[in-house]
Amino acid sequence: MISSKEKKAVLKKFGRHISQAQVKLMQAAHLDFLETERNGASIRDAGSGRRIFDSFSSAGCFNVGRGNAEVIDAVCRAADEIDMGTPGLASRMKVECARRLAAVSPGNLNHVMFTAAGGDAIDCALKFARGATGRNEIIAMSKAYHGHSGFSLSANGKDYYRNLFEPLMPGFSFIPFGDLDAARRVASEKTAAIILEPIQGEGGIHVGDDFYLRGLRDLCDSLGIMLIFDEIQTGFARTGRMFYSEYSGVVPDMMVVAKSISGGLFPNSAVVYRDMALLRDFVNANPEFHTSWGGSDLGCAAGIAVIDFLEKNRIWENAAEMGKLLMKALRDIMKENPHIVREVRGKGLMIGIEYTHEYMGTLMSDSLSKHGIFAVFSGNQPQVMRFMFPVTITEDEMRRVIVCINRAIKTMKSFFWLTVPLSKIPWIKTLLNDQHLQVASFIWIRYFEDLFGITKRSYGREE
Amino acid sequence: MNEHIEAGIQKGAQGEDEIQEVFLQGQRNLRVSRGHDFFEGKREGAFLYDENGTRYLDCYSGGGMYNLGRRNTQACEALKAAARETDQGNFVLLSREKADLGERLSDFLPAELPGAFFSVSRGEAVDVACKLARGNTGRKELVTVDGGSYGQTGFALSLSERRDAALFGTLIPEVRKVPFGDMHALEQAVTKKSAALFMEPIQIENHCRTAPAEYFRLARELCNGTGAYLVFDETQTGMGRTGAKFCFEHYGVVPDVLVIGEALGAGYFPITATCFVKKAQKLFNEHPLIHLSTFGGHDVGCRVACAVLDIYEARRPWDNANAMGVYAMDYLDALVKVNTKKILSISGKGLLMSLNMGTEEGALAMCRSLRLNGVFAMPGAVARSTVAFRPPLTITRDEVEMLFKAIILSLKAL
Repeated sequence: MISSKEKKAVLKKFGRHISQAQVKLMQAAHLDFLETERNGASIRDAGSGRRIFDSFSSAGCFNVGRGNAEVIDAVCRAADEIDMGTPGLASRMKVECARRLAAVSPGNLNHVMFTAAGGDAIDCALKFARGATGRNEIIAMSKAYHGHSGFSLSANGKDYYRNLFEPLMPGFSFIPFGDLDAARRVASEKTAAIILEPIQGEGGIHVGDDFYLRGLRDLCDSLGIMLIFDEIQTGFARTGRMFYSEYSGVVPDMMVVAKSISGGLFPNSAVVYRDMALLRDFVNANPEFHTSWGGSDLGCAAGIAVIDFLEKNRIWENAAEMGKLLMKALRDIMKENPHIVREVRGKGLMIGIEYTHEYMGTLMSDSLSKHGIFAVFSGNQPQVMRFMFPVTITEDEMRRVIVCINRAIKTMKSFFWLTVPLSKIPWIKTLLNDQHLQVASFIWIRYFEDLFGITKRSYGREE
Repeated sequence: MNEHIEAGIQKGAQGEDEIQEVFLQGQRNLRVSRGHDFFEGKREGAFLYDENGTRYLDCYSGGGMYNLGRRNTQACEALKAAARETDQGNFVLLSREKADLGERLSDFLPAELPGAFFSVSRGEAVDVACKLARGNTGRKELVTVDGGSYGQTGFALSLSERRDAALFGTLIPEVRKVPFGDMHALEQAVTKKSAALFMEPIQIENHCRTAPAEYFRLARELCNGTGAYLVFDETQTGMGRTGAKFCFEHYGVVPDVLVIGEALGAGYFPITATCFVKKAQKLFNEHPLIHLSTFGGHDVGCRVACAVLDIYEARRPWDNANAMGVYAMDYLDALVKVNTKKILSISGKGLLMSLNMGTEEGALAMCRSLRLNGVFAMPGAVARSTVAFRPPLTITRDEVEMLFKAIILSLKAL
């Protein structure tokens, strides 16, 4: 716990050196937590002392749970002997981690390029596809999210992230996710790669079905296009299988992994690629085409421990079971509240709940936070809230989560006597959905809550 | 040749077979061409070892990670303590660790640079710099100098000089390159259309090519006059490497954006930083979460980096880098004069040095030869005929002399 004075100082420091806007945004949505005692499926907020369920998991990093003792031990043991190692040199850790990664990867995804982080891995994969095919064009999906570095940003399907930084890489085009005909229309023998998240995360939990993914595979085969699956959020047991592509049996030419392979502790990422002449020949001829920091010995020590833990405990089974429990609860909420919830979708512990209006995303984030759950709406589709709890979450914890969600829905409804009628008026609806305005008004609401002690009363139901 | 090393090469080659399952022959050939076909074993101070226990003076320092030497005890303890107490945290949330490092770093730097964004790799940090420039100025054009090497990600690659650049198709548009050191060309290039001017003060991958102080002062003036951001990528030259905390101190020029690299995590955590002036904070202050990094500003990494900055302040490794750098450059200068057939030239500043061996094969042969004499060094990535030396800044006089001997023996064997 820290005093409110101390917390103020931290926020001031954060605002002064990192981002003032982020401080405001988080305060407005009751998400100005300072994470401490990170354990399993929850953390403690150093400011309020409350335990809070982590339903974001840093967008799918904490598949092994927060503060996983086995991963911590593996990194600490390794740190006693070695350091990150030398890029460009071989080491037992790098080879072992790569072998383990290839062994759990589907089909003939047998070769590994280690990279530094998610965006860097996407950049590597897109350079790889352009280089190996000798083609320039890349097809990505609307609402896609792949990262913020030069290539990955160019494949990002949301204008907010791109507009201020244009012009980006030429040769990128966007098609609607799930629309096989659109892919067929745009793809040609000039296309180097089709890149997608098989379940769109930031885009609002859109699940690629077997028919779609197989159709893309056939299309890519017929035109010599590299199919790239970004499994950064779906990978490592999140969806009920080790990788989401296993459901459809579609083996992409390259699979990008990051986030969860770090165990939430030590960064690493990789492009795992198929054992095929086109790709092998390119790497053999251009072994330095993407040299970076990835595959550090310590990152690999973490990666090995993560894979061990997931396999030993068959964590994907827990994802499937807990996912079912949560999905059912959310569908029940939808049935009771069709005016609030439009759809619930997802796979395993990657679940999205879509509200009928955009502004409800922020409102619900706020309500959930009051009831002990940290959840954020999808950056690329604000009316969708993502639930991506640590995959190790227990049944008891999940039942408590469900109680919290139900309470939060009730709290949110208390705002509706005002907002729902108002949102029927088009210009007010636009205002309600405006994020800047939401931040400003929420800051006011919080000010009055703090003034009258309302927030304190609505908490206090911990555990 | 040392017998141990010879035996080690045999054994190392056997181990390489296991690698082929996941990595490829071409990657191995690359290591073999440099004489680096061994498994990295123990590491300590200025040395790395192969698995047979043969030690090599580390003159690569993991590309600039190990300014404080291999396995710095305090950095190691900081990592272990942070790993037990915290984890990466949720990247969209506020974080005490991130705020602390922001403040700590701004104390470490000139007062002009209060803002910071943390990334994992060098390339990502350069990409942030490009986005800061475009996003804040509303301009598109990125001016840079030729011969640079900024990293692997999209923007960084577009600014870099790479012989394989054509493989990657059409890159970021509106990048303009001018000859490094040409003041007239710089005056022509930097205009009110320029978002930023990028450079590494010393191009380690390009035979430590640099420019006189007036050039950097002109760059500063031009940027002041046009509103373009002056960006220094000091991933290689910074954190004490050239005998000062940062290379820009030698010229009395403070950039608008400073890229700090690998050395910030001391080889115990991958963390880099893009630091910037107050006016550049507008982007992140007006557009929350417009640029994100899951692993950048990782809570564990921030704690490690804070501890690392403490070590830097306490040890002031730039003093040693300066002393050892002067000593080494004097010696190598003399060496070049008597070895004109084998070494074309020597260049460098502080503990950032480069030998020009004349040809690409000459540089690879030198790396192989150095390995046999107990030194680990890499060829330059841009000037392929060169061998770059960037040992830990904690290197002792005895170790520097060890390097001299190895260079002499290696030259003899060529």
